[in-house]
Amino acid sequence: MAGNLCPHGGFFECNNIFCEYGQKLSEILHSCSNVIEKLAKGDTSDKIEIKVKRYDIQRLIDSINNLSRSLEDLIDLNHELAIGICEHFDVLRRIQEGDFLAKASEDSPIEIVRMLGELINRQRDRFLDYINKIQQQHKEILELYTQEREILSNIGVAIMISEEDMTLEFVNEEFERLTGYSKKEVEGKMKWAEFFAEEMLNQMQQYHKLMRIHPSLAPRQYESKIKHRSGRKIDVLINVGMIPYTNKSVASLIDISERKKIQQQIIHYQKMESLGSLSGKIVHEFKNILSGIHGFSSILLSKIEDENLKVHVKRILEITERAKSLAEKILIFSRKEEAKEAQNVNLNKYLLNFSEFIKTFIGSEIILKLEIPEKEIFYKIEESHLEAILMNLFTNAKDAMPEGGEITLGLKEVCVDMEYSYTHPLVKPGKYVVLCLKDTGIGMDENTKERIFEPFFTTKPKGKGTGLGLSTVYGLIKNYEGHIHVYSELGKGTTFKIYLPKESRDCLPIDKQSLIGNETILVVDDDPHIRQYLISFLKGFGYKVYEGKDGKEAIEIYRKNRHEIDLCLIDLVMPGLGGIEVMRQIKNINPEAKIIIMSGHPLDLKDIVSVEKSCLPEEILLKIRTQFI
Amino acid sequence: MADRLLDYSGLKCPYPILKLSAQYPNFKKGEIIEVIGDCPTFEKDIIAWCNRLRKTILHIEKQGYKMKVKIRI
Repeated sequence: MAGNLCPHGGFFECNNIFCEYGQKLSEILHSCSNVIEKLAKGDTSDKIEIKVKRYDIQRLIDSINNLSRSLEDLIDLNHELAIGICEHFDVLRRIQEGDFLAKASEDSPIEIVRMLGELINRQRDRFLDYINKIQQQHKEILELYTQEREILSNIGVAIMISEEDMTLEFVNEEFERLTGYSKKEVEGKMKWAEFFAEEMLNQMQQYHKLMRIHPSLAPRQYESKIKHRSGRKIDVLINVGMIPYTNKSVASLIDISERKKIQQQIIHYQKMESLGSLSGKIVHEFKNILSGIHGFSSILLSKIEDENLKVHVKRILEITERAKSLAEKILIFSRKEEAKEAQNVNLNKYLLNFSEFIKTFIGSEIILKLEIPEKEIFYKIEESHLEAILMNLFTNAKDAMPEGGEITLGLKEVCVDMEYSYTHPLVKPGKYVVLCLKDTGIGMDENTKERIFEPFFTTKPKGKGTGLGLSTVYGLIKNYEGHIHVYSELGKGTTFKIYLPKESRDCLPIDKQSLIGNETILVVDDDPHIRQYLISFLKGFGYKVYEGKDGKEAIEIYRKNRHEIDLCLIDLVMPGLGGIEVMRQIKNINPEAKIIIMSGHPLDLKDIVSVEKSCLPEEILLKIRTQFI
Repeated sequence: MADRLLDYSGLKCPYPILKLSAQYPNFKKGEIIEVIGDCPTFEKDIIAWCNRLRKTILHIEKQGYKMKVKIRI
């Protein structure tokens, strides 16, 4: 067509419908219109394939095709952007919902979309690290928490953690045992104040107030009483501390009821010991005075002839005898009574015979029950002591049941183990004979129970009791190194349990051969009879003996014969130098000197070996032998 | 039968997939949706969207200018 003009005056003005130029141009324009229409709809799939020689027409065709390709690129970019946004949006949404497996693609041809994908993934990884760390810390905290709760549960003392308003947030198993309430009932529901005796609350609230305001002024521990579900009150030692960074406090509660009981036992024992010691000394002096009165009265009785006057002197003698008898009873309590020969008593038979005799004494309104085992139990004891113990206990039981009742007399052998000994520190572990006397009488209150073994303490009407019955029983039992325990409740009755140690009385006889020795002993005692008695049995067992009548002489003998003397047996109480001073001076001469101090009463002096004079010769010899082991 | 019908007729691409992504958080996993579009690149876009977001195309149907696509979420 190029170079050939329309023969009808150019195709813009040509009206010949058969003009070939016009027809060609129309075809080109039609194609252009189709492509442009599609482009307008976003469809870039069609291109104009026609080639013409005429420049302006071909330029139009090329321009349309270029527009189509540019638009195609733009649409592709637009779609890739949109798809990238959609994808990353979806990944972020999944991460936000907790799906940490979601991962953005990092292969977009568009740099910014690719970088956005990489950024999302890095953030996700950091977030995952952070979460892992938190989870690890959480696990460690949980383990620590579990450990702490486990420690709190098994610590062996009751623990309670309370909020500022006193609500208990946590209590352990020991707390459950101490109070009788379960964790479910307590935690988050009850306040600590509900567990304490009313009389303690004010003091405790003051304490907790002080603890919050001036912690340094509040003592770390204090004693209180906790209420068990049953209403029973238990002595506890409370230890309180604040929990850092909270307004909560933690308290441990230690059950000290047993400890208090033991303390009371020891105090009671010490009181009785002091009373015994004091009364023994007084009675000793009193007996000397009585001896004087008795002696001079006897002389007076033999000198005077006036029968009227003799009656008065005899009355003095009678009263003196009564006073001496009273003094003897007190001596039994103070354990200064002279030791007599004990017999091996068949306790089963003795109690059966005694029960027959006592039935007439207690009367028919009181039923006597016996709990005596078939196995025969022997015990080395003076029968008169046994009788005095039982008579006094039966008398009290009878008086406690004016309208009748029941008395149970029991006998058994028991083995006291370390555990019992721990809760009853005065009772050593070992075998014991237990005599038990139980009545269903009026019982005693705590104050009476505290004082029943004190001399001259009585609850009986004036003239009915001397107040020496139970103190005599106490003294006699202590003579046998035994123990007496009393259990009593008002209106329910009283039980006395007497523990008599078997080993010391019932043990196998000592092998006399083992007591023989050839050492040299210095015996020091101001009493010539005792000195001779000691010398004779020491010589009988092969010992050589030096004797000293007082401390001064003893030291001289020792100084001269120190290389020969192997052991000194020295009396504690002597005129002039006492036993301890003699011992000190002998130790100055020879620090290695072996010394045994003899005394009338049991001694418990630190670093001093001692023996009671009232012991059997075998026991004294055994003590001597142990010094040469 | 689809659980939801999303008609994006008259919208030029990539609006349909942008709208679909914005509505997507409301869909439940396993739900079947039917998306309708009449943009010439709709088919290409929706297929790319499903591939990139790992969704399953169940059915594609052409009805004149319109395209119906069933997808399992």
